[in-house]
Amino acid sequence: MTVLVAVPEGREGPPAVAAGVAEARMLGTDLVVLNMTLSPLDGSLLPDDLKTTVVERSGPGDRDPAEAVLDEIADRPDVERLVIGMRRRTPVGKALLGSVSQRLLLESPIPVLAVKPPA
Amino acid sequence: MTTHPGAHHVALPADTPGPHSRRLGLVAVVATFGGLLFGYDTGVINGALEPLSRDLGLNSFTEGFVVSILIFGAAIGALVGGRLSDRRGRRHNILMLAVIFAVGTLGCVLAPTWQVLAVFRFVLGLAVGGASATVPVYLAEVAPTERRGGIVTRNEVMIVSGQFAAFVINAIIYNIWSGWDGIWRVMLVIAVLPAIALFVGMLRMPESPRWLVSQGRDDEALGVLKQIRSPERAVAEMDEVRALAAEEAATKTAGPTDLGVKWVRRLIFIGAGLGIFQQFTGINSIMYYGTQLLESAGFSANAAVIANTLNGLFSVLGILVGLTLMNRIDRRTLLLAGFTLTTTFHLLVGLSAYLLPDGPAKSYLVLVFVILFVFSMQGTIGPLVWLILSEIFPLKIRSLAIGICVLVLWLANAVVSLLFPIVREATGIANTFFGFAVLGVIALVFVYKCVPETRNRSLEELEDEFRGVPA
Repeated sequence: MTVLVAVPEGREGPPAVAAGVAEARMLGTDLVVLNMTLSPLDGSLLPDDLKTTVVERSGPGDRDPAEAVLDEIADRPDVERLVIGMRRRTPVGKALLGSVSQRLLLESPIPVLAVKPPA
Repeated sequence: MTTHPGAHHVALPADTPGPHSRRLGLVAVVATFGGLLFGYDTGVINGALEPLSRDLGLNSFTEGFVVSILIFGAAIGALVGGRLSDRRGRRHNILMLAVIFAVGTLGCVLAPTWQVLAVFRFVLGLAVGGASATVPVYLAEVAPTERRGGIVTRNEVMIVSGQFAAFVINAIIYNIWSGWDGIWRVMLVIAVLPAIALFVGMLRMPESPRWLVSQGRDDEALGVLKQIRSPERAVAEMDEVRALAAEEAATKTAGPTDLGVKWVRRLIFIGAGLGIFQQFTGINSIMYYGTQLLESAGFSANAAVIANTLNGLFSVLGILVGLTLMNRIDRRTLLLAGFTLTTTFHLLVGLSAYLLPDGPAKSYLVLVFVILFVFSMQGTIGPLVWLILSEIFPLKIRSLAIGICVLVLWLANAVVSLLFPIVREATGIANTFFGFAVLGVIALVFVYKCVPETRNRSLEELEDEFRGVPA
């Protein structure tokens, strides 16, 4: 069994990773980190004593970050928990660009833990 | 999805000469005709406009419309052409473009009214835009690493050479048959020749090995490499082709959702701003309306079309100088110097037109300052903006970002081309160029405040700067 954490761009990213690490520890599982941002993941966020696999978003198949996460869940049947970071968005921003976290909450086939950044 | 993104450098054996060399030499021929065609089709209207305008009864608005609709078409062609060449292949795309070039040209030549002309200019624009998005990519993918830069640069030189060639041919034809308004049709029909050359040249060219690899057709890719490289080099190069295809795929990671990220938006804003201000110098107003401009500065029609060839000549010379300057001087310095020069010459054109009485002194001063403007523009901002666009964006947002910036650049070009004849007729040469000078000052502020230095800096350093991380 594995926990998958999807790391978004911005300040909600590091708390999501932290929550993913805590969830994996609590469940006693491995951690898969899917980096949805467009730059390499900050390795210092990951502990040494947990078995982690980092997956980078790359290529036209991953153009849509929500699709990239859902594909990863489909490819890894042992993933039983999804952890995501989310933040408040303006209605205009949501209307123009959609909300990745909303789609993941609604479309994920497995339970989702949604984490907000500290206020 | 990959856990090991990025390409690595592969040491390759030198490409020894052999029967494959002649095949590769054809790449250069195709380069020549792809670029020439782009240049000729955009430049030919310059000398053709005056007889065309009389023949079909245009006013300043319909002139702007007929000229700029090609550029609007090019904006769409660049967008669609890039997608099609990824889906159907480079070779297929270029062959199709050569046919559209020929059809568009013949449609324009035979157009009975300006409305029909406008439709076929739009079709021609689709081909121009498609060619701009496909030909340089194809060339870079087929050429061996050590000759890649040279062949792509050659394409840039050929574009301005195509415009220069159009100006010279216009001048010759105009001075042979100056009494007949239909001569614009002769000027335009000549563009069929490079279209045929492109088609025939391309028929003998293979598909891009990198594209074949991106489609999972590795065996065919190796087959192509064996035709255009020495046998041992072909096998060795497959690894490089695979690495580059993977890198190419990574550039297409970012999608519309990522526009929600602030640093991505900021970088695209800078790239788009550079595209807009490059066009707001009015360089293409000279490239499309130079003859008309010189005529209204006091030259006779015959003299104006001849004097206009100097614009084409100095455009070529400027690019040649610019390509050598670019790698010796910091980007920001060269941009600021460029906009300072172009703005100064805008002011001098405006002042000459405003202060001097009509006569040879005024005509020649306007000509000299316009030429100096063209030269300083093509020696700096012209090629530099393209270079900065190619190096400012981190790998994963590159395809999205460059797509948006190039679209904005074409649209800015189209808007200036649409408005130039209208503004010039309504307010005169002096005020039009004072307007360009004002835009130039805004461009200087923009470059000074917003554009980062990209020369000798890694993309990682740039990215950190934009994400607000201290480098």
